[in-house]
Amino acid sequence: MEVGYGEDRAQRLLRDRVQSRWMAAYDPIKHLDPVLVITALALTGVGLLAIYSAKLQALTQQGLPTTTFISRQLLALVIGVVAMVVMAMIDYRHLRTYAPVLYVVSVFLLLVVLSPLGTEVKGSQRWLVVAGFQLQPSELAKIAVLVMIAAVLHELKGNIRLGAVALGLGIAVVPTALVFLQPDLGTSLVFFWTAAVLFLIAGIPARYLVTLALGGLVAIIVALQTGVIEAYQLRRLTAFLDAADPALAQGPAFQTYQSMVAIGSGQFAGKGLFQGTQTALSYVPENHTDFIFTVIGEEFGFIGASVVLGLFVLLVWRALRIAILAKDLFGTLLASGIIAILSLQVFINVGMNVGIMPVTGLPLPFVSYGGTSLIIWFAMVGLLLNVHMRRF
Amino acid sequence: MSSPSDASPALRLTLLAVIVIALFVALFARLWFLQVLAGDRYVELADSNRLRTVVIEAPRGSILASDGEELVRNRPALTISADRQELLDLAGAPKDAAAAAVIERLGELLELEPDAVLERLISRRYSPFRPVPIAFDVAPETVFSVRENQELFPGVVAETLPVREYPFGASAAHVLGYLNEITEAELADERFATYRGGDVIGRDGVERSYEEELRGAAGQRVLVVNARGNVLDVQSEREPVEGHNLVTTLDLDLQRATEKLLEGGILASRELTTDDDENIPSVAGSAIVLDAQDARVLAMASWPTYDPREFIGGLSPEYAEYLYTDPDNPQPSINRVITGRYPPGSVFKVVSGAAMMETGLAGPRTQLECPPEFEVGGNTFRNWNDEDEGRMDLSDAMKRSCDTYFYDLAYRQWVAEQRRLEQVDNDLEQLDEVQARVSREFGYGSPLGIDLPNEAAGVIPNRQTKLATWTDQRDLWCELAETSDPGYRRDVLAHNCQFGYLWLGGDAINTSIGQGEILASPLQTAATYAAIANGGRLLEPRVGEAVLDRDGEVIRQLESELIRDLDLEPAVLDAIRDGLERVVMEQRGTAEPAFRGFPLDEIPVAGKTGTAELKPLVPYAWFAAYAPADDPEVVIVVTVEQGNGGSQTAAPIARNILEHHFGITDAEDAEFEAGPAILD
Repeated sequence: MEVGYGEDRAQRLLRDRVQSRWMAAYDPIKHLDPVLVITALALTGVGLLAIYSAKLQALTQQGLPTTTFISRQLLALVIGVVAMVVMAMIDYRHLRTYAPVLYVVSVFLLLVVLSPLGTEVKGSQRWLVVAGFQLQPSELAKIAVLVMIAAVLHELKGNIRLGAVALGLGIAVVPTALVFLQPDLGTSLVFFWTAAVLFLIAGIPARYLVTLALGGLVAIIVALQTGVIEAYQLRRLTAFLDAADPALAQGPAFQTYQSMVAIGSGQFAGKGLFQGTQTALSYVPENHTDFIFTVIGEEFGFIGASVVLGLFVLLVWRALRIAILAKDLFGTLLASGIIAILSLQVFINVGMNVGIMPVTGLPLPFVSYGGTSLIIWFAMVGLLLNVHMRRF
Repeated sequence: MSSPSDASPALRLTLLAVIVIALFVALFARLWFLQVLAGDRYVELADSNRLRTVVIEAPRGSILASDGEELVRNRPALTISADRQELLDLAGAPKDAAAAAVIERLGELLELEPDAVLERLISRRYSPFRPVPIAFDVAPETVFSVRENQELFPGVVAETLPVREYPFGASAAHVLGYLNEITEAELADERFATYRGGDVIGRDGVERSYEEELRGAAGQRVLVVNARGNVLDVQSEREPVEGHNLVTTLDLDLQRATEKLLEGGILASRELTTDDDENIPSVAGSAIVLDAQDARVLAMASWPTYDPREFIGGLSPEYAEYLYTDPDNPQPSINRVITGRYPPGSVFKVVSGAAMMETGLAGPRTQLECPPEFEVGGNTFRNWNDEDEGRMDLSDAMKRSCDTYFYDLAYRQWVAEQRRLEQVDNDLEQLDEVQARVSREFGYGSPLGIDLPNEAAGVIPNRQTKLATWTDQRDLWCELAETSDPGYRRDVLAHNCQFGYLWLGGDAINTSIGQGEILASPLQTAATYAAIANGGRLLEPRVGEAVLDRDGEVIRQLESELIRDLDLEPAVLDAIRDGLERVVMEQRGTAEPAFRGFPLDEIPVAGKTGTAELKPLVPYAWFAAYAPADDPEVVIVVTVEQGNGGSQTAAPIARNILEHHFGITDAEDAEFEAGPAILD
């Protein structure tokens, strides 16, 4: 049967319709992960409440508005949401192109932080003050290192040799060293850990992983032996082990001890919002930033703390799902890298709050007060959404 | 899993998931432990963190004289103290740079040179076991500065030390007593459960016996503090309960006069000499004035005395030496009126006279010989006078203090008791030892129960006590007898070793004149004379009159307790009283010389001298009296340890006190005029 023009046109129209329906069905914007976004927002909300509670008494006493901290955090949230949208919109595959730029900018900023332009707070030089805003370049570097290593590993398509490992390690080592000099041991660990997890997912042979682990161990021993980590730092790092010792509880372990008292005294159901005495009376230093979890533990008890940890588990689950669904290795690597950073940071942060990890300066993602951290974490959520949307 | 490189990405992601799950499980487990399993403990820790208990001292009550004059009042003094052990090394220099900085800061705060702080800190005036007061009576702001910045002042404490104020100085020190910090041992005792370390507690006198009333109860304030120690709120508050005031029976004017006259008399008597031409030691003494009708203590003095102010903030070593080891001032801290255990000597004849009349061997009118000596079983017992005084009745025997009169009766009674003892097969339970029984009825051998601590019981010897002592001491006596040099002492020891359990005639004889083993306190003697004065009622002497609250309302009125009615036969009582009056008011009465010039027509005085032997020491001088004899108001007892004759040293002191009391000669103008030495 002869196929007529009209028939041909009708068929083309039908094809177009089907295609546009398919296109509409696969439109990235229709494949957002609402659970992911809502979970991130929920954590931020809990954080805002905890920050408000942590600073309520102290600010009232100083005669400052009680919203001083949360208004800044809300501003960061707005910027973070914008960053999330931006990160979600640009196709993540283009990030491979920009990765070196992002990486170089981050390393540059980390160098600037260490220069006299950086701002020192409580013995650590971590911040850059730009137009009245304190920026923490090491947060940006987290994304940069993640994207850069993921891009390199993606290019190699699982064909990982010694040179690739060396290159990946090299990418991680530069910011690791720079951050270590601030000093910020926690974030250094995050870089190293990100590289290791990415190697694992990208299919690095087991012997390399074992060698890496051994190398890390040797590095630690060497650091201790040669005095790169000084005795007082070591004492601070190990103080949490003896937080119950009264001598240490008033000295190096004061923070860990007070934080354990705060969380422990919250018991099962918590003391109630704004009812935490350890929180209100400022017994736990930094309880709006690194020790925000003490506020949650004290005022909301085991139930509240579990809900917050549960939200993190939810995030990990969504990210894992995205890692599995991702269209390419790059997407999988990005999602797994975010899982790695998120879970390590939660573990180190909550771990030091409950006295099972040494005190290193790492914020609790989404929850701790700190603009840069919050913006970067929403950017990471954007990245996850990006990978999720473009999975077809 | 063979090798990750061969495994699928899914497997690798599973591995990542497992690692992440492990991390979260660890966190959940830890949270469960902290919040659920160990939560209770952390709640306590959080509370101890935020709550600080501040003790609010209760002001201690005042002690007043009977007219309401304050003898002791309480003043809380804000004090900055420092812990020597925390700040100084053993050489007394600052322990380290931090300690030196603390001392410097303390100096700035108190506006003192650091050297001055150091000087106070190393002063030996204070016990090493408590913080050394650096500054008394500081401003409240200074206290706050220290308490709020405790981290700047380690080892420094701001505390409220109750400082007792004594408007009349050392007056009535023995009655009032003093305060001292409670000891560790006491704190461990549950009787002191309401005390905390650093609390003061009454140590002697009414400060101790009325401790509960005077002390009150400390309050406390539970504060909510933040990490910096700033006080945010008061969680609970318990107001301190102020201590009650105590009104004593003391007549302040008489008390001060008594003290002055006792001291003056004792010191003046030291100018006198004994028969051996040696100065009378008069090492110590006491005087008590009782209300004859209800045994209220109007004045009570013991010499040497002490100054209770010295106890404030701890004793200095010099004062501690004076209090406890000075050979020239034996034991100034004890109240000899109630703790003195002396042989009463002849003042006891009032009691033995009453006892002898109960034996039935003689009546008050019975005339007995008063020879210079009384011989029994080869032993000679002498009267104090070596002239034969002829026949006399009980009243005469009192007046002349005739020893042999009592020897005769006591010996006959002893013989009768020995006979009775044989009849009852040596069962001491069935034997009425009249002398001992009557003595006990008069309140000897046990404390009377005055409201002051450490009252002595004294000793009333009898067959039972002698046996008990011998059972106890026999080995020692025997050993000493063997090792001693030959002589009187060895003979006595040897005798006691073998026969020390025997109540001999000599024991009965000695006891009848207040000698031998018998020991009595001036207080017991005073109670006896009050009973004689008031017609036979033995009363419990007291120094407490009433307990008042801060508004002066009477909370507890203290009453004199009747210990017992002595049921003395009127004839006996009259004879004794007659004798006592003649002691003072008749020619040849033993106290008559001492009272020459006293207006006895207006104020008749009845009394008794005593010269108690305590060989090898110089005798103890006694004088006990009541006045006016026809309508007794006051009883007075004066003792001078090693003051020689009762009529020589004790009676003149008593006379001066009576003259002051009855407005004849003020204590300011009084002079000690010694009586004759030869009289009992």
